Amino acid sequence: MSFNVLIVDDSNAMRAVIKKIIAMSGFKMDECWEAGSGKEALETLSHAWVDVIISDINMPEMNGLELVGRLKSDELYKEIPVIMVSTEGSAARVREAFVQGAQGFIKKPFLPEDLRKALYEVIGVGTDGEYTEGTTNADELDF
Amino acid sequence: MENILKVRQTLMNSIFEVFERMFYVFLEPAESRPDGEHSYRAAISFSGPLMGELRAFFSRPLAEAMLRNMLNVGGNEINERLMSDCLKEAVNMICGNFLGKHDSGQVFDLSIPTYDSGLQVDDIKAATDFGALRLDFSGGEGSLIMVMMTFSGRDLSVG
Repeated sequence: MSFNVLIVDDSNAMRAVIKKIIAMSGFKMDECWEAGSGKEALETLSHAWVDVIISDINMPEMNGLELVGRLKSDELYKEIPVIMVSTEGSAARVREAFVQGAQGFIKKPFLPEDLRKALYEVIGVGTDGEYTEGTTNADELDF
Repeated sequence: MENILKVRQTLMNSIFEVFERMFYVFLEPAESRPDGEHSYRAAISFSGPLMGELRAFFSRPLAEAMLRNMLNVGGNEINERLMSDCLKEAVNMICGNFLGKHDSGQVFDLSIPTYDSGLQVDDIKAATDFGALRLDFSGGEGSLIMVMMTFSGRDLSVG
């Protein structure tokens, strides 16, 4: 089984790096959509089927936290898992992301295995692409 | 003094971590080098319990090595847009990494990074008057100058 991924980051270079790292990680990716802001991500979702979203926090127009908030309040999109990728890795910032509705959080700079682990965890599949009952990063957090 | 040294070391560790993990570039502390080599500047400001700005000045060989290692591009494929994205992302990661190490219990807000190219010696001299970290890449083939200014009333200048 392979999955459609939406990468949201205002940096073209960072989107290309994330795409490259997903390919290197062995994650089974089908379509890869890209958006430069939360606003563009919502536009993409209106015409594309997306299984998982990887989003930066610090972006113009609509930042990653606002995007997650909008997705989680929308019946159509609230089940799409979101992994936040950010340089801002303080415990308070991570907690804020999970409270908003993110299911995973990766601090930049990161390794390919960090991203692969987060992707499989939030989607709920094992590394062989089969569904599992695994926990998400959010479940492991002690609020 | 102890505080300044701690900040300097923390910033240095963040620079090394980001360059090694994201750009596969290994830097080392360097002696003063001609400022005219540094044609590119990326900057980001931060606010929260500590407020300030981080400015990084890159020589062209270093910037090209970062792009080559990050995106597998080189020569004619390098354009202003890619250079801007890459260097802004570098300063964004260094700043976030530094603030997390400096005080992981606090939330800081980072600005959208800015980028300038075609800098002149005077631009760099003015920015580094209060001290800077200077790092070399590949035995002096390329180099980086990092300046941090804080506006919190406490002197955390890293120079």
